[in-house]
Amino acid sequence: MGEKNNMKPKVIVLRASGTNCNLETEKAFDYVGGKVDSVHINELVKGIRKLSDYDIIALPGGFSFGDDISAGKIFALRIKSLKKDFDEFVKKKKPIIGICNGFQVLIKTGFLPYHPDLKQKATLYLNDIGRFVCKWVRVKINKESPCIFTRGINSEFYLPIAHGEGKFVADEKVLKEITDKKLDALTYMDNPNGSYEDIAGITNEYGNVFGLMPHPERAFFSYLSPSKSSNKTGIGYYFFKNAVDYVK
Amino acid sequence: MREIKFIGSNEKTLVSMNKEYGWSLNLKELLMVKDYFEKLKREPTRAEIETIAQTWSEHCKHKTFSGPVEFIWKDRSGKIKMKKKFDNLFKETIVYATKKLNKKYCLSVFKDNAGIIELYPGSKWGICFKAETHNHPCAIEPYGGAETGVGGVIRDILGVGMGAKPVIDTDIFCFAYPDKKYDIGKGFLTPHNIISGVVSGVRDYGNKMGIPTANGAVVFDDSYIYNPLVYVGSAGLIPKDKINKKVVPQSLIVVIGGRTGRDGIGGATFSSADIEEETSSSHVQIGNAINEKKVLDVLLKARDMGLYTAVTDCGAGGFSSAIGELASDCGAEVWLDKALLKDENIEPWEIWVSESQERMVLCVPEKNLNKLKEICEMEECEFCVVGRFTDTKKLEVYHKKNKIIDLDMKFLHAGLVQIAKKAVYKERKTNYNSISIKNSEIPERFKKIISDLNVCSKRSIVEQYDHEVIGQTVIKPFCSMEQRVPSDSAVIWAGNVTGENNHRGFAVSCGINSRISKISPYIMSYYVVDEAVRNLVCVGADITRGAILDNFCSANPNYEDVMGDFTASAISASKAALDISMPYISGKDSFYNQTAVKNRVYKIPTTLLISAIAPVEDVRNAVSSDIKSEGNPIYVIGEFKKGMGGSVYRELFKGDDFVSSIDLKKNRKYYLKIIESMRKKHILSAHDVSDGGFLTAVLEMALCGKGVEINIGGIKDKYKVSDAEALFGECGSKIILEVDIRKEKEFINFMREAPMLKVGKVIQGSSFILTDKGNIVFKEDVLKLREIWERKII
Repeated sequence: MGEKNNMKPKVIVLRASGTNCNLETEKAFDYVGGKVDSVHINELVKGIRKLSDYDIIALPGGFSFGDDISAGKIFALRIKSLKKDFDEFVKKKKPIIGICNGFQVLIKTGFLPYHPDLKQKATLYLNDIGRFVCKWVRVKINKESPCIFTRGINSEFYLPIAHGEGKFVADEKVLKEITDKKLDALTYMDNPNGSYEDIAGITNEYGNVFGLMPHPERAFFSYLSPSKSSNKTGIGYYFFKNAVDYVK
Repeated sequence: MREIKFIGSNEKTLVSMNKEYGWSLNLKELLMVKDYFEKLKREPTRAEIETIAQTWSEHCKHKTFSGPVEFIWKDRSGKIKMKKKFDNLFKETIVYATKKLNKKYCLSVFKDNAGIIELYPGSKWGICFKAETHNHPCAIEPYGGAETGVGGVIRDILGVGMGAKPVIDTDIFCFAYPDKKYDIGKGFLTPHNIISGVVSGVRDYGNKMGIPTANGAVVFDDSYIYNPLVYVGSAGLIPKDKINKKVVPQSLIVVIGGRTGRDGIGGATFSSADIEEETSSSHVQIGNAINEKKVLDVLLKARDMGLYTAVTDCGAGGFSSAIGELASDCGAEVWLDKALLKDENIEPWEIWVSESQERMVLCVPEKNLNKLKEICEMEECEFCVVGRFTDTKKLEVYHKKNKIIDLDMKFLHAGLVQIAKKAVYKERKTNYNSISIKNSEIPERFKKIISDLNVCSKRSIVEQYDHEVIGQTVIKPFCSMEQRVPSDSAVIWAGNVTGENNHRGFAVSCGINSRISKISPYIMSYYVVDEAVRNLVCVGADITRGAILDNFCSANPNYEDVMGDFTASAISASKAALDISMPYISGKDSFYNQTAVKNRVYKIPTTLLISAIAPVEDVRNAVSSDIKSEGNPIYVIGEFKKGMGGSVYRELFKGDDFVSSIDLKKNRKYYLKIIESMRKKHILSAHDVSDGGFLTAVLEMALCGKGVEINIGGIKDKYKVSDAEALFGECGSKIILEVDIRKEKEFINFMREAPMLKVGKVIQGSSFILTDKGNIVFKEDVLKLREIWERKII
């Protein structure tokens, strides 16, 4: 991708009615040098914009369509109507990140864990505590994971979570595949929701698609941490920087 | 229901008709309506009377607070201390303070849906702030009541000026104890049911809106058994050039968002009456956060494209008050059959006054209509054109070909009759006697205090709210990496929204105190104004550019003692604001918070919520409340005062009910010093002393697992107070500071004129040690105390 060296990577932050973490996700990509468009899924459906014009897709958090039926389900159905475009994006090994509701969407579309026919292989279920929870939790990076978003990040740190349906659930076969292939890029150290294998985020085999429940965009600057440390950069910065550096 | 007949009706008939239809109009007003229609030589329509009732309701007009009051103040012996007549109590207290202070950074006060101040000197942005109550709905349908309360105050922010982006919500509740057995009247909800419903409602609505709920308080007191108070606030950011709206005749009246239905008919008039055993929950509206989120997305996009010239929210009174207010200077023609409906089974007048949620009314020049339509379609937000603004100075409402309303704007908006209320304030008898407490009693009593619902951790509630969304929350409800230490104010960075490359932001806090109000509503206002401002000081916000909101809740103002307490607290709220030099920019009041059950009337004490807001120059320097490092000295700034009145200690054990008064002029001086000292980086953490008293406040700072050693001897010597007053008293205005040991000398020198005392230090390990002149009174592991403090509330 050498010819793009002098151009800003084009980022599409894709939202639906009820998406609400788009602003901070757009800003995060903007701060690391991306050229960001905030796009409603209807603009893709109507053909006003094309996915192939972009280098990175971000699916931000929120409550797309009110999380009716189950979290991310309706958004996932809309995306499936654009299945070809998305699959092409994945196969071209361009980065896709889904955060919180965006992760729920990636799971429900069958992009994570990846199924060639885009069938759902896992789910994110109601937290064990039975309700929404917002707090900073300790997480760990799997250094052996192919995930491009987590490259070179310190192994243990805190990230904020804010979700009601974040418990990663899959059958043993799927879980084994995830752990064997080191696709569990991010795990909880004090599991806050009952996720199997403490999974907080997973990637695909190539590492270009990444979905996670914690919010790196809310940890972009050090002053957004509950602990007032003197570090200049927040840990969240690196997730976005990695994606932009990758496509440059 | 009978035919509506005003012409020729006698007073008795008018009064009984009023009750039957639930208009909540008083006799003088009914006679005025009668006069108006007798002059027109025709009977009013149902729609016209409903419009008048809504427009003149307590809920919409606040006629008690802005009406005339005959006030008498009696001292403890019953002797008259003061007599005063107010023509307009609100203007002569709250607004008076703002006018007198005349702060140039106030960009809009009292005239719009929210007050607005400047984000920083010369900034292109303003911060708007508004708080509301939703008490009556929450008493009968807590979940829906809380949801629509949050939805309503957010629409106030969307409807201020040309629309602002909400960036923080607040919630403050007053409940009876959920873990206490009450003999509850038939048909009423238990405190436990109310709390769970309200918390879930705030959570579900606020979280789905994508606005962080990041500041608040919960008060527990038996007085709120039948009348819970649910305050919700919202602050937003608005470009300065979008502060003014303009209604242009011939422009279209466009409604975006939710459809109109039969839910919430008569909500405004219902809130203007006492709750009775047979009060129906059909007065409460149904919320749908995603509809409102769509409205938010459409509105801000359309605003920045300049597609409309004015906007307001549909709140109490529905179209009737939204369109009525926008058109009050020009006039409007409305076509109700064009409104999108939830179902067709609705009367025309019901469409007009329905309080269905999530609707905003815009003034759109015809040429922009198609562009607005495009945005709405993309965002899947419904919209309809329901009329046109005119220059007739008349309100003309049609349903198909029928004209159902034809009223003069002048009559509707200026014709209100002001009723003089009698107010008698009687000072309560209080006794001061210095109570003693044995050293051996301190450990157990302290543990009981920190597990009291008014003191314990509110984390089980707070962590259900998303307080991080938008990625701007710098000081969160809990500080330290593990979020164990309660903060004093939320600090919000503004940069993601303003897009400015700086670290400007603002702080939001609150103050509320029902225990002191029961002893002295007059002194209470000083305490709550002071507490709200002191909370801002603790994070280092610039109070010289700050502002406050008043939200009074009271029982039925037709009782002269209720009105007396209310008036006394309004007078002191005004004085407190002047003394501390913080202007009011907006406010709201809620009366009739009382309920009769089995021949007994349950009234709430006058409860004043002060919400405070102030700019923060650099959010990276905001001071948090968690103790930072071993070896640092701990100081208390502010005097310890006499009296156990208003303390949690007194509620649990025995104690006198004396409350010392406080001097906010003096406080302001040392608050400014503290902020300056923070700028000089002398101070590493700060926390205010409130519920539970001094010892609780120190413990809270150490809950991140730090050890502290505190010496009480110096406090007793310097301020001549008893052990109980020093450790657990809640009189006075105190801030605890952890000072950087390397800057201690500089700090002492800089603060020398302030009432200041070194009370202890941060020690190695995690022991919490209390000593008195060298002897250990109490020693316990902080982590053990934390377990007690972190109990569940519901």
